[in-house]
Amino acid sequence: DSGVGVDLWIANKFDPSAGAAADPKDPRGTTWLRPGEKRTPTGTLYACPAEPPVLDGSGAWQQYDSSIQFGYFTIGGDDKSALWRRYAGWDDGFVLGLLELHFVRPSDGSYIDVRASHISEHDQYIKGTVGRAGSYKIEAYARSTQNVVSGNARSIWDGVGSNNLTLAGGLVPGASTPAQVAAVSAAAPERVLQVNRDKQGLGINYFFDPRWTGYFNVTDEQREGTRPFGGPFFFNFAFADNGGIFETIRPIDDSTVNTNAGIRFVGNRWRMDIGYSGSFYRDRYRSFTYEQPYALWNVVTGPGVRSSQLTQGQFSTEPDNDYHSLRATLSRSLPMNGQFSVTASGASMRQDDDLLAPINCTGTFGIDLVGNGQVGPTNPFLYACADWNTPASLSRRSADMRIDTTLVDARVVLQPTADLTWRGGLRFYREDYRNTYLAYNPLTGEYGYVAENGSQGTVVPGEVGIWNPVTGASILTRVMSLPLDTQTTEANIGADWRLSARDSLGATFSFTRNEPSHRERSQVDDSTVKLNWTNRALGWLTLRANYVYLRRSGDRYDYDPYAFTFSEHLPGFVEPEGGLPAHTVDALRKYDMASRDQNKIDLMATVMPREDMSFTASLRGDWNDYDAKLGRQKLDTLGATLQWEWQPSPRTNASLFYAYDRSKLGIANVNEDGAAAQTDPVLGGATYPEAGRWWVDDKQRNHSMGAVFVHDFRRFKVDAAWNWLWSRGLTHYRFASELALAWPDVAAYTGNAFPTMKYKLNSLTLGVTMPINEQVSLRLFDYYERGRVSDWHYLGFDEARVIDHRVYSDGGPEDYDANLVGLLLTIRL
Amino acid sequence: EGKPIGDAPPGFAYAAVAHNPAAPDAKAVGEQVCTACHALENDHFSHTLHALGLRAAAAATPGAPVCEACHGPGSAHAAQPPEKGLIIGFTHGAGTPIEVQTQTCLACHQGGARDHWLGSVHQRNGLSCSDCHNPMGRVSPEGSMARTSINETCAQCHRDIRAQFDRRSHMPLPEGQMTCADCHNPHGSLTNPLLKTNSVNETCYQCHAEKRGPFLFEHAPVRGSCLNCHTPHGSNQLSLLVAPVPFLCQQCHSHLRHPNDLQTPQSLAGGPHPDERIMGRGCITCHAQIHGSNNPSGPRLHK
Repeated sequence: DSGVGVDLWIANKFDPSAGAAADPKDPRGTTWLRPGEKRTPTGTLYACPAEPPVLDGSGAWQQYDSSIQFGYFTIGGDDKSALWRRYAGWDDGFVLGLLELHFVRPSDGSYIDVRASHISEHDQYIKGTVGRAGSYKIEAYARSTQNVVSGNARSIWDGVGSNNLTLAGGLVPGASTPAQVAAVSAAAPERVLQVNRDKQGLGINYFFDPRWTGYFNVTDEQREGTRPFGGPFFFNFAFADNGGIFETIRPIDDSTVNTNAGIRFVGNRWRMDIGYSGSFYRDRYRSFTYEQPYALWNVVTGPGVRSSQLTQGQFSTEPDNDYHSLRATLSRSLPMNGQFSVTASGASMRQDDDLLAPINCTGTFGIDLVGNGQVGPTNPFLYACADWNTPASLSRRSADMRIDTTLVDARVVLQPTADLTWRGGLRFYREDYRNTYLAYNPLTGEYGYVAENGSQGTVVPGEVGIWNPVTGASILTRVMSLPLDTQTTEANIGADWRLSARDSLGATFSFTRNEPSHRERSQVDDSTVKLNWTNRALGWLTLRANYVYLRRSGDRYDYDPYAFTFSEHLPGFVEPEGGLPAHTVDALRKYDMASRDQNKIDLMATVMPREDMSFTASLRGDWNDYDAKLGRQKLDTLGATLQWEWQPSPRTNASLFYAYDRSKLGIANVNEDGAAAQTDPVLGGATYPEAGRWWVDDKQRNHSMGAVFVHDFRRFKVDAAWNWLWSRGLTHYRFASELALAWPDVAAYTGNAFPTMKYKLNSLTLGVTMPINEQVSLRLFDYYERGRVSDWHYLGFDEARVIDHRVYSDGGPEDYDANLVGLLLTIRL
Repeated sequence: EGKPIGDAPPGFAYAAVAHNPAAPDAKAVGEQVCTACHALENDHFSHTLHALGLRAAAAATPGAPVCEACHGPGSAHAAQPPEKGLIIGFTHGAGTPIEVQTQTCLACHQGGARDHWLGSVHQRNGLSCSDCHNPMGRVSPEGSMARTSINETCAQCHRDIRAQFDRRSHMPLPEGQMTCADCHNPHGSLTNPLLKTNSVNETCYQCHAEKRGPFLFEHAPVRGSCLNCHTPHGSNQLSLLVAPVPFLCQQCHSHLRHPNDLQTPQSLAGGPHPDERIMGRGCITCHAQIHGSNNPSGPRLHK
């Protein structure tokens, strides 16, 4: 059912069409009665249907179109490349290319279909369908897919795949040197990080009678694997030789049950659709911990000052969550060939996971200014782990978070004449947060959190994240969660005119008011005009044109709406001497809240120069200007495509396409003057002077090209497909002065652009299929893929993954050349 | 109207001769008359789910239409075959207005996934059901598509979107493991981009349930829309990001101290100032829980 759920298609990279592309086409063509091939109403060529089976109308089950294809794959080249294997479990070995079984009983319309493929353990599927046309359909499937996220990871930890990483190779937590860590990293074997999804599903569609139908679907998916993740919250750039930055490897081990069910009624005047969707996510792990190898030292020194050593970091994993959604649509036909439809939907997302304690250390953490190890008012930056490593230190033990959503959508369509259609609609959507979290420790009477993750609070006084009414009354820290309630109201009206039998024009105006809570604006308004024109005046041409103009505006922009979540609103908070620091700069406009003008065009032409040929050309542009001195300033895209298709006979088809697009993203920002007072939020003021401004233009260019050629020589059939992508991203920057730079000392030779980011993909399939007899055919094919990738984020990672105290696991994307040769035997059953 | 006779499958039991405004006086002639000329079409049609159901209904209820359930009464067409429009045609140049084509299909297929067809972008742009579907022959394994798969069918018009899926990061659509219709309902929906659910995020949560939360500490633009940071159809950045990190983040973040520095190539590995804020996954290296943290110590999305 294309209206609900996912998994509408089950196939694999080996054959994304699940057998359809290779099905023998009917040599008689599509029709005897018209020359050439048939076209869709728009004008593109219909694909030639498969050769139909000969079925009688008896009441017996009959098998048709059944076959099994199996054989052997051999792979050469960079077969471990993440980009090559991303979603395809290519391996050397025997494969089941495709098993297709079809049975039908024409007398009552019953059918059974089975489809299966096995490329490897994580690239396989089987699907069975039993049904009776117009009566019921039962589908069941199981599928395994993989997502390779790194093909060259090196780990300095043991236990990859578990939720507890321990240092490998003799590294000592909190007492290892970069050289030792680098040696372990260099000696670690490269490994593939991937997430495997195994999913099973069952779906039932049933006609209770001609008017009432019902459906039920349930799926259960298990994800298992690993992916690159983060580490401590720290600043190696600011504190060289101190602590560490780690790209750890986290486990993925979870399951999700999704279900939906509903009933539908279709009468002469009334229609109804009531459905429920549920989703239940469960994670095997609640936390993920890792050892960190480096020592921490204080940024303050003095007689007796001692720092605590943290050797382990900890993350909470994503919480188990439940989702329930009820939705009902009621429609009624109206006079004037009209229709009224109203939909109401209510949903709830909720989770109540037990919360981890703020820290998992023992002893003390922080800075021991006195040197006696005693926590107390005279030692304000030293904390007892026992006060923070227990759930008793939390304001509540579980998350108890919930978002409820409400949707009401009503629309009416009237067609007073055959040439005129009126449309109107109202929509109301709301998200309500049902809880907030206050970070309060009843054991100590303190507010806030522990920034420690093997990290900075230990070394920087006041950065631990804890507000104390006595010893830290001026510490500005986060103490509350951020409820993001929002409400959207939309009204739209439009009309379509059929100017002639081959010419139609439409216009739509809509107004949307978004009212988010606790964002930079409490009201964001979108006014949109849409125009569309379809013309078929010329028999060989179909033209479509769409234009959209959007203006976004809103109420006053509050550049700092989040103050209420910070300690400055706690009773007893003492404003620091000199005032509160400016959280951000007043001229920044976050682009999802910023005013903007958008112009968008979409032109498409389908040309039919000959009976056996079609061209499709499109031009699409989207120009966005944001009202922002700082933040996103513009995002413009322009793209064009050309497609040519040729189908001179059922035995031959060819196609060619070219697509081009370019985009330009303009960003502006400002660095603060670290030497000045930090309290002035005004752009151009003391904190954010004009001299700190900088600008970035990110330009992307993409060229795509592809070709397909298939010809059946009768004794053998050849197929060839070529796909090519050439992408180039260039990030330019400019700055007002060296104050803008992260590293002003290199201003003189810092240039104005990053190295070009490139991605080039070339793939070629060549295949030949030879019938051996009426039942058996042999297919030999070669699939070659070459990728060239350059991402400046990972420059130098091939030489070392350990850079000072930074440890990276993933080496980044790599060039690859890989080739797959397959020999497959197909037996028609 | 009326109750079906015999064991007709309910979905086809009410099949009636379609109304063709261009041939108001035409009468039904029956399937055998049609197939006398359209033998090849009949062969292909017999390979479809529609044929199974309509013929089972006709077997249970003699006189129930088969061909004429979709094409309308055939007498006028049989009398003047070259005259366009006398039979309801679903191909280019058939002479049947698009609205008549779609209404003919909706006579049986109204409701459910097609509840919001009227006013949808595809309806406004004059698409016919048969631009995407071909119920007259077996071209795709499922869905009676006009091309071999849902994705190839959509690419007839949306080649630019299809090309984006070839980029460095993409969802597994070219690999045949998902389709455009997993996220979009091309027949019309409650959202402008034809999403199947009530919002962008609910659509994403269908496969990324772990991102649903809600989390103890939320990241406002993430809760607002996944598309604030990700482009769904393909990107040459990591993880479908709309811009390279850290500039992606710096579109919104200009806070004191470290987030608002301009990074340059001098901060890459091998440069004079290697800097974790731009190397590798940049900001996400420390703010690893960028989609939200459920840790009481995670307000900076770092635990």
